[in-house]
Amino acid sequence: MTATLLRSLAEIVGPAHCLGGADRAPYVVDGRTPCGVVLPGSADEVARVVRAAAAVGVPVVPWGGGSQMSRGTPPRDGALVVGLRRLGRVLEHEPGDLTATAEAGITLDAFQAALGTGGQWLPLDPPAPGTATLGGVLAANAAGPRRQGYGTARDLVIGMRVVAADGQLIRAGGKVVKNVAGYDLVKLYIGSLGTLGIIVDATLKLRPRPEAEGACWATFATLDAAAGAAGVLAGSELGPVALALLDARAADACAPVVGLPAAAAPAVLVAFDGLARTVAWEGEEAARRLRAAGARAVEGLDAGGTARALGAVRETRRLLASPVAIATVGVLPADVGAYLGAAQTTAQAGGFELAAVAHAGHGLVTLVLAPGGAPRPAAATAAVLAAWRDAARARGGHLAVEWAPLGVRAACPVWDPPGPGVDLMRGLKARLDPLGVLNPGRFVGGI
Amino acid sequence: MSSRPGLDRARLRSALQAIVGPDGVLTEPDELLVYESDGLTIFRATADAVAFPRSTAEVAACVRLANVEGLPFVARGAGTGLAGGCLPSEGGLVIALTRMARILEVDYANQIAVVEPGLVNLHLSQALGPRGFYYAPDPSSQLACTIGGNVANNSGGPHTLKYGVTTNHVLGLEVVLPDGEVVWLGGKVRDPQGYDLVGLFVGSEGTFGIVTKVVVRIVRRPPAVRTLLAVFDQLDQASQTVAAITARGLTPAAIEMIDQLTIQAVEDAFGAGYPRDAAAALLIELDGLDVGLDEEAAHVVAACRESGAREVRLARNESERQLLWKGRKHAFGAYGRIAPAYMVMDGVIPRTRLPEVLRNIERIVTTHALRVGNVFHAGDGNLHPNILYDPRKPGEEERVLAAGAEIMRACVDVGGTISGEHGIGLEKRDFMPWIFSEADLATMAAIKAVFNPTGRCNPGKIFPTRKSCAPGEIAYQPHPLEASGLIQRL
Repeated sequence: MTATLLRSLAEIVGPAHCLGGADRAPYVVDGRTPCGVVLPGSADEVARVVRAAAAVGVPVVPWGGGSQMSRGTPPRDGALVVGLRRLGRVLEHEPGDLTATAEAGITLDAFQAALGTGGQWLPLDPPAPGTATLGGVLAANAAGPRRQGYGTARDLVIGMRVVAADGQLIRAGGKVVKNVAGYDLVKLYIGSLGTLGIIVDATLKLRPRPEAEGACWATFATLDAAAGAAGVLAGSELGPVALALLDARAADACAPVVGLPAAAAPAVLVAFDGLARTVAWEGEEAARRLRAAGARAVEGLDAGGTARALGAVRETRRLLASPVAIATVGVLPADVGAYLGAAQTTAQAGGFELAAVAHAGHGLVTLVLAPGGAPRPAAATAAVLAAWRDAARARGGHLAVEWAPLGVRAACPVWDPPGPGVDLMRGLKARLDPLGVLNPGRFVGGI
Repeated sequence: MSSRPGLDRARLRSALQAIVGPDGVLTEPDELLVYESDGLTIFRATADAVAFPRSTAEVAACVRLANVEGLPFVARGAGTGLAGGCLPSEGGLVIALTRMARILEVDYANQIAVVEPGLVNLHLSQALGPRGFYYAPDPSSQLACTIGGNVANNSGGPHTLKYGVTTNHVLGLEVVLPDGEVVWLGGKVRDPQGYDLVGLFVGSEGTFGIVTKVVVRIVRRPPAVRTLLAVFDQLDQASQTVAAITARGLTPAAIEMIDQLTIQAVEDAFGAGYPRDAAAALLIELDGLDVGLDEEAAHVVAACRESGAREVRLARNESERQLLWKGRKHAFGAYGRIAPAYMVMDGVIPRTRLPEVLRNIERIVTTHALRVGNVFHAGDGNLHPNILYDPRKPGEEERVLAAGAEIMRACVDVGGTISGEHGIGLEKRDFMPWIFSEADLATMAAIKAVFNPTGRCNPGKIFPTRKSCAPGEIAYQPHPLEASGLIQRL
């Protein structure tokens, strides 16, 4: 059956774009080997590929840059990987409208470079922009530190086209910046991890490149003091574009990247952009408030330093040399300091080292765990994750295991136990993908 | 619409009174009249009963009763909608949420508030004002419209250019699903796991259930503001200025356009100080920190001058600012001085297409021997042509509908859409195939069936009634009292 499928796929996309045998190696996730890898060259080819796979009951796994493939429950063995990297064009960019449409397989860096010629950019800064693709970023709802000022994909995408489970091409939203015609399907597809459709292109709101960027890097004696200072800035009129809280270990790892001496002290990174005059004033005012909130030292960063600092806090996987687990947590912004303190205690008690970065204004925390000394068994890692999850849920929050070896994920589920909306979510999946063709089993509640 | 056959109105009334109390039910025809229309008075439909629940439990009980009785039901806020979205188009029960208008919680540390759906939009900002916070989405009807209605329609407003529309400000919803089950979607914490059901629910026009609590973001009010009025001798110059401001890398909080007919109506009505001979004016507002605003304002002034503005005025104080905004916000009311009725249109186009589309609208309306006033959110290309007419003149209403449909078509033809903030409701359901394929609409219908499998929750909205629709095909249904000659439309 698989051989028949691969033959028909080769007819759709051409044999050169159909990978089998050893060529599948880069597409193995969690030891699950796909039956094949197909690289369609157009939205229409994606649609035909999905139809062909659905017809023989082979599930498909959409694949952008592969940067987020370790997210979620492992894929099925023998599924078909549909790689989007040949869909890499900018289809439209009208600077006067501040909008652009691009195919899903373009990398974020390539997209930004194309927009830069018009003096504009997409203010979305997820990790690994050199490999992450537009479609993958939207499917995973990935974001970075600038979410404080610009929001996330749901605030920036105004339209997209997706290939549905039955191979039909569906348009969500449109090409204008305000649109309430029909249901907002864009929101449904963003963050759905490829379980409802394969995004083939997207239209986005852009921003003019700011005239200036600047930031302050402030270090504190205690995490509580740093969290308190972040809270002061989050609730202020200064309107930072990024507001990151780093624990001592994360700050120690990031400081050299920024060009500052390594120092194991909790830190706050607050960044601004806009007119040069305004950014300079904001930087001074933020520094004054950070000192008033107890900062031991405050460094002002120029545009280059700001970009390096935001890059460092974005690439959380690089915070520790050999992590054994990465978790993403959401709690109320005002609870971030207390939550991080408790997470640190749990990690230390288990013989681990923790590095943590929070988007403080939005209450979103990335926790990176590594053994404090000798390697620790998977069960010990899972126990820390489970305790972190309990602590987050006790505060009304949530935890997802963003990355961990399979053994750890076998002992600690990737997702929280499903919440009250799960019946609706399962209902949507059942209606929109009744045969379970699209990335089955990877998402919340077994979707 | 006449009463449903076989409906025992007295029994329905007492069953509803058992749920919402003796003072919370209307069933008399004269009482029901108030609830037969929204802000778009061209559509009317009469309910069998209107109930005013006071709690989530009472809303759920009303919904369960409607299911038991086999009655359609629809939620209603302040009734300021402009697409007929809250009309009981197949009769049944209207669930009015005006008695659920409390602010349940304000959490300044986390910058969120929890409110009931019947809360008037402006009342939230007024309550937050003393602490320097506000709720950003500001529909022109914010003095009356409710947060629940805003959620249903994903409402916008002038300042959404910079701050986003309702969906960008809602974090969580407690909803009564169409089967009566109460469920929380999202909540106070960001990025909940699973599908973005909050994002899907916002803007679903009451067809997915009834919102009973809303968690909204609240934000600091910007400490400084600059408001400018740019005056133009040609409409095209004003249109081109919008793109010129964007090209300079500026993001004003609002860019509103007011055309000559509207300026004259406003000046006749209450005198906002707009020059009567101007072809168009742009009301531009910048906000943020005081330190950079004069420089930004200078950039805006330069963009206006380069595009041919004959005059750019800066409001020197808050009262001058309020007067400039009064002209914009009360423009609709001012039309009442020059025409007995007007139909508000709502379409969106790419900003760069403003000059040609505005010319096109003028041509379309003139062809139908009508007049149009434009007052709209130019910054994001959200048009509001208002077609003036006299409903007493035979055939005029039909011409209005035909012209309106052609205007929508003109928006679609340049890559735009048929609603930016008012919704589809009854008004535009037959235009949906202009922008969505059958497969797109089938996907939406499949989603609706997940939330609303019986279709009893707000039936007849959003989805097209027939396969295709020629412009102007919406049928006006006269009210029974009108048909019988007892009343007439003014």
